[in-house]
Parts: sequence; C-alpha cells; structure tokens
Amino acid sequence: MNFAIVVHGAPYSSEACLSALKFARAVLESGHSINRVFFYHDGVHTANSLIAPPQDEAPISEQWQEFGIGNNIELIACIASCLRRGVMDETEANRYEKSGSNLASGFTISGLGQLIDASISADRVVTFGV
Amino acid sequence: MSSILFVFSRPPHGSINAQEGLDALLMGSAFTTCSVLFVGDGLMQLVSGQSTDDLGTKNFSLSFGALKDYGVTGIACSEPDLVARGLNKDDFLIEVETLNAAGMQAFIRNHDKVLNF
Amino acid sequence: MIVHTINKVSALGLCDNLVAEDDKIILLEDGVYLGLQSLPFSVFAIRCDVDARGLRGLLAAQTEVIDYDDFVHLCTEADKVCSWF
Repeated sequence: MNFAIVVHGAPYSSEACLSALKFARAVLESGHSINRVFFYHDGVHTANSLIAPPQDEAPISEQWQEFGIGNNIELIACIASCLRRGVMDETEANRYEKSGSNLASGFTISGLGQLIDASISADRVVTFGV
Repeated sequence: MSSILFVFSRPPHGSINAQEGLDALLMGSAFTTCSVLFVGDGLMQLVSGQSTDDLGTKNFSLSFGALKDYGVTGIACSEPDLVARGLNKDDFLIEVETLNAAGMQAFIRNHDKVLNF
Repeated sequence: MIVHTINKVSALGLCDNLVAEDDKIILLEDGVYLGLQSLPFSVFAIRCDVDARGLRGLLAAQTEVIDYDDFVHLCTEADKVCSWF
C-alpha cells in the first residue's frame, strides 16, 4: 500500500515532525511504500539546514534527510510556506535577493500541487498536525 | 480520480493555519473533486464582516466567495458547532449546508481522502 | 472503517460526533492523555507517547497500547485516515 505523509509541525516546537518520521519508518518497515512526504505550515522548518540542536537532543532534520535520501523518498517543502518562513534554495534566495540559502539536502521546494497530487495518488494520506 | 474532503477546524487570523488550508483547497479544486467541512472554531472563518485592515493580516475570508467558481460545491459545516457558538447561517459570507452528526459522518465516508487543517 | 488520530486533548471536541460506530481512534502525542478516561470508542494509544509521559499504569482498561507498526496496520485496514489536532 502506498502512503502520502503530510507534516505541519516544526522540529522541536512540536512533536508532529518526530511522530511523522516514526510513522514513515514504520510504513517502510511494514513493507509498504511512501509516494511523498509533504511539509506544510511550520513543517517546512524541518528543511532548514541551519538547525543546530544541542548534542544530547535528536537531530530531527538530519534524521529526515537520511530517511529521504537513504530510501529515495521525495521530501517536498511547500514553496509558499517556505518563503513566509525563510527557508530557501539557491534559486529562491537569488530571486528574492536574500543573503543566503538554507535548504537542507534531500529536500525539494515545490508547490501545493505536490500535496494534492500525492493525496490523490496515494492509497492513504496521513497528516501530522499541530 | 480521488475526491478530497478538506476539514477546517481553526479560527482565522490567530494563526495562519486557516489561510494555508484555504490555499490548499483552492489548489486541490484545480486537480480533482474537492469539498470542505467546517468544524469547531473553523466555522469562524466564514463569519462575514471580517476586517483586518488594522490587524495587518490578509483578509482571506474574501476568497470564500470564489469557492463556487473553483468548482467547490460541497460546502458544509457542523450544525452542533454552529448552535454551540450561537451562530446561524445568515452570519456567514457564503451559502453553507449544515450537517448533523450522521450527515457529517456520511460526508466523510463519501470522499476518498481527508486533509485536515 | 475510518481511523481518526488525535494529538491533543482539545481535539476530541472537534471529532467526537464525527466518529462512527466502527471507526477507530488512535491517540498520539499529547492526545494520549485522553487514554486515561473511558471513551465510547475503540481507542488505541501510541506506546512511546504513553511511556514518555509516565502513563503506562494509569490508562483506562479499554485503551490499547500500540506501536507505530500497529498504527500503520490500522491505517491499511481503514478506508481513510482523518487527523485531528
């Protein structure tokens, strides 16, 4: 069975981001697949490469990166949510003349259509809200 | 093609959840059959006369008038939550169907996917 | 059958009259506090959230503690998943 996963919560600010990661791992370990993970609302903070948690706390963003890259799963951060919150790849940083980009590797910035497309094509869509 | 039910449960302006939910609904309606159900304080998104000039946030409530043009015809709210807030349908910006518990359960059953905001 | 997830106590008020008789409720995050009381639904609570909050011995008898793989399995059995937060 194919799952779409939607994440609304920022790492550390809420548990949603961590719950979604646990769920995503369990989906694959159960022999199912994930068509896309869509980060929306404050969830896009997960894609911020500048996050530096204390050493005794889980590096949640890095864990998502490893999960996405290691399992070849699309991690999409909503562009409108990203721009409001200052998460940018190089293209957007240049477009808006910002001093730097901060999109973590493994993440892609794209539009809301990706949420709808993932929801339509998946067998199940599960949202982790805040 | 999967139909999607959008469920809005947050009041407007206190957070951006409601506005970003509406953005998702408008996008969804370009792809597939979409409906929307307002529950809890989500009903407050529909109250007419919202004026955000002094607040400095976007008055996205004006976009609800465009839902029909976007092809969103299933627009419903929770009747118990409407009554609990002392509201009636005349307080709303747009025409909304009120559903009791059984009606809402059927509304959810009749869509393939649910996206909550 | 629909799986409803609830991640905070206040979110029960959003969905308590939307849950049909054969639906299942999964409590996660702060939603697990709802597992302390008896609810008129079929209720599951995520183990790591229960344990993190020290609730293991305090849950109502009806609250069934499950892991994330059980959560996934319940989703596959359901027609759809509805998330309340």
